[in-house]
Amino acid sequence: MSVLSLERVTKRFDQVVAVDDLSFSVEPGTVFGFLGGNGAGKTTSLRMVLDIIRPTSGSIDVLGRAPGRANAPEIGFLPEERGLYRQMTALDTIAYFGRLKGMAPADAKREGAALLDRFGLSANAKMTVDKLSKGMAQKVQLATALVNRPRLLILDEPFGGLDPINQGLLEDEIRRLSAAGATVVFSTHVMQHAERLCDRLLLLARGRKKFEGTLEEARAELPARLNVVAKQDPSKVGGVESAEDRGEAEPGWRRWDVRLEPGVAPGDVLERCVAQQFPLRRFEQLQASLHDVFVHIVGTPETAQ
Amino acid sequence: MNNILIVAAREFRQIAGMRSFWLTLLIIPLSMVIGGIAPTLFHKDQADRVMVIDRSGGGEARAIAQRFQLDHNRDVLTQLSRYVQRHHLESADPGALWAQHDRWYSDSDVAQFVASGGVASANVKIARVKPKDVSEFEAPKPDFEIVPVPASLASVPDNGLDDAVKGVLKPAAKDAKPVDYVLLIPSDFGKSPLVRLWANSQPSTSFMGAVQEVLTRDLRARFLATNGVSPGVAQTATAIAPALSISTPPPGGGARESMLVRSILPLLAAYLLMISLMLSGSWMLQGTVEERSNKLLETVLACVSPEELMYGKLLGTAGVGLFMIAVWAGCGLFAAYATKGAIADFIRPALDPLTSPATILALIYFFVVGYVAVSILFLAIGAMSDSMRDAQGYLMPVLLLILLPISLLMQAVLSGNSGGVLIEVLTWVPLWTPFAVLARLGLGIPTWEVIATGAVLALYTLVELVLLGRLFRASLLAQGQKPNLREVISRMRAVPR
Repeated sequence: MSVLSLERVTKRFDQVVAVDDLSFSVEPGTVFGFLGGNGAGKTTSLRMVLDIIRPTSGSIDVLGRAPGRANAPEIGFLPEERGLYRQMTALDTIAYFGRLKGMAPADAKREGAALLDRFGLSANAKMTVDKLSKGMAQKVQLATALVNRPRLLILDEPFGGLDPINQGLLEDEIRRLSAAGATVVFSTHVMQHAERLCDRLLLLARGRKKFEGTLEEARAELPARLNVVAKQDPSKVGGVESAEDRGEAEPGWRRWDVRLEPGVAPGDVLERCVAQQFPLRRFEQLQASLHDVFVHIVGTPETAQ
Repeated sequence: MNNILIVAAREFRQIAGMRSFWLTLLIIPLSMVIGGIAPTLFHKDQADRVMVIDRSGGGEARAIAQRFQLDHNRDVLTQLSRYVQRHHLESADPGALWAQHDRWYSDSDVAQFVASGGVASANVKIARVKPKDVSEFEAPKPDFEIVPVPASLASVPDNGLDDAVKGVLKPAAKDAKPVDYVLLIPSDFGKSPLVRLWANSQPSTSFMGAVQEVLTRDLRARFLATNGVSPGVAQTATAIAPALSISTPPPGGGARESMLVRSILPLLAAYLLMISLMLSGSWMLQGTVEERSNKLLETVLACVSPEELMYGKLLGTAGVGLFMIAVWAGCGLFAAYATKGAIADFIRPALDPLTSPATILALIYFFVVGYVAVSILFLAIGAMSDSMRDAQGYLMPVLLLILLPISLLMQAVLSGNSGGVLIEVLTWVPLWTPFAVLARLGLGIPTWEVIATGAVLALYTLVELVLLGRLFRASLLAQGQKPNLREVISRMRAVPR
């Protein structure tokens, strides 16, 4: 049973369609990336999941229930725009959000203290937020999302504004939660994070779903490319769409940039080369980046807006 | 409900953590103390020293001295009567003049009071019935003291006194007490009405009034005698005066002093409602603006509904306001029952209305519902504003709308006016109903009007909760420019999501 599923969800603001007929589901224990440029509908979708706003049409199922505050005890949420009560101490802030998620006061305090300890902030637990550095405040904000040990962690552009150390900390926490069986859904327009962390991806553009699947499936959307060192032009080999001469690699051998026909696997081409006794000194598959996939599917992040 | 309480507790703690909260909390008790001791600070603790150089035979100087003594004794008798009335001590001697409060004490009344032993005798009788926690009556000090004329002045001719009196009005010696007034009654007084007065500051009205009356009476007696009226009849004619009987109806009728003492509690409740609302409302406004400007709302709204957030904030702020009132009331009760003196004497009779359960109920109802009705305005303003600067734009008109009519209302009630078109209008317009009804409770307001305005206020508050609740909800995550009136109305009309 999926942890989160959206079925034909549409959200309109006056004449603007922010989310258009969106359907997807997230299985337990996966890290699910919600990718799209600015204005693609990521934040609106996540707000609907959290019942901060409601869809114009369609249905949403979160942890087996309709969206609502009843889910709060099992959800952690880190919004894109972050802030804390400036006059509250770090520990009180975490405990406050723990209590709003249904935790007992003592449990919320204990878990808050443990998180601060894990983030290296135990000495700052009693400091008010306005006296913390920006990096420290970011860790406290993350702790407010994690305090209830959520089954479903929703992160909206979580890496935005984080320094490299806190980006690493957040990646570690996502892996830790995933390893513990929690489901993580995060939106981002920075492809490198999604590439490193996500089991499954969903690409959005102008509120519509453009792709859903694994990273490998995403890469398969692009024609495969090879770096080949051969004596002859490989464009005659079956399955090769084109081959571009990149110059001499060593005497008698030339380097070729080979583009395969759509849907042709590099292994099949290698097999044909062997069968045809086509001499090779290098046969290297070039892996497409998620950025390339994104640009291929939805255009540049700018054109996707 | 649990989330509402958690939000309310956080709001309360946030406001209670502010230094301005504690400073404000101390202002009222401090002003009570200052108010209690201020009269003693302003009051002269020494009598004005009066020197009368009577060169007409000495009769005028004696008459003036007797007049000062008479006025002082009348003052003592009046104060004693008020003390007995305030503490319900008439049973000490129901027939005594000081147990009769509805009269102006004539000269013969004062003479009778002195003849019967004065304050000393009265205090003995009062002590038999006086509760232990009631302070003993302290007679006021005399306003004037007659000082003898020194030989150095007595021998100075009239035309040489201008220089001579300087030494007694502004003595050079540091330890010498200055004389406040030097009065010369020339030897030909009677034939000529001229008297001379030297004063070291502007003469007081009471001094001038007393002196003028004594000398006028003597001049008139001399005039009547000169015109054939026997001296005895002439003297009697100058002493003829009306006997004034004073009635002080209970609250509802109107006399100023009765209203001020017996209705101070409801009026005070109206003032405290206004002060605590303005303070806690502005703190809540700051908190709401902080949540918006710090981009906290989305995190909060993932855990609690907008309604829970709104009710939690209202509850927390009402808690702050009621806590302030409780502390102030506690200080008042402490001053009334654990201390003695002017403050206790003032507060204790003011607590009289609390013997009526209906009054207590009305006080609490209008206070609490009024609190919610006005607080939610601050909350809605906070939800629409990205910064305190934004909030000021909405706040000023709202504050003026609330406070301006209330200041007029307070003045009208203080002047003993419980009716009139303005007061009736303010009583029936729900925004001002809590203040108007609370202020009028002490003066007397028909029961049906209290019930009807209470019902209208409840209905208004419910409608306000629904409409401003929608505005609050719709404004929470709205970004961009300040909404104009059309947008505000549109948000109020918007059915939740």
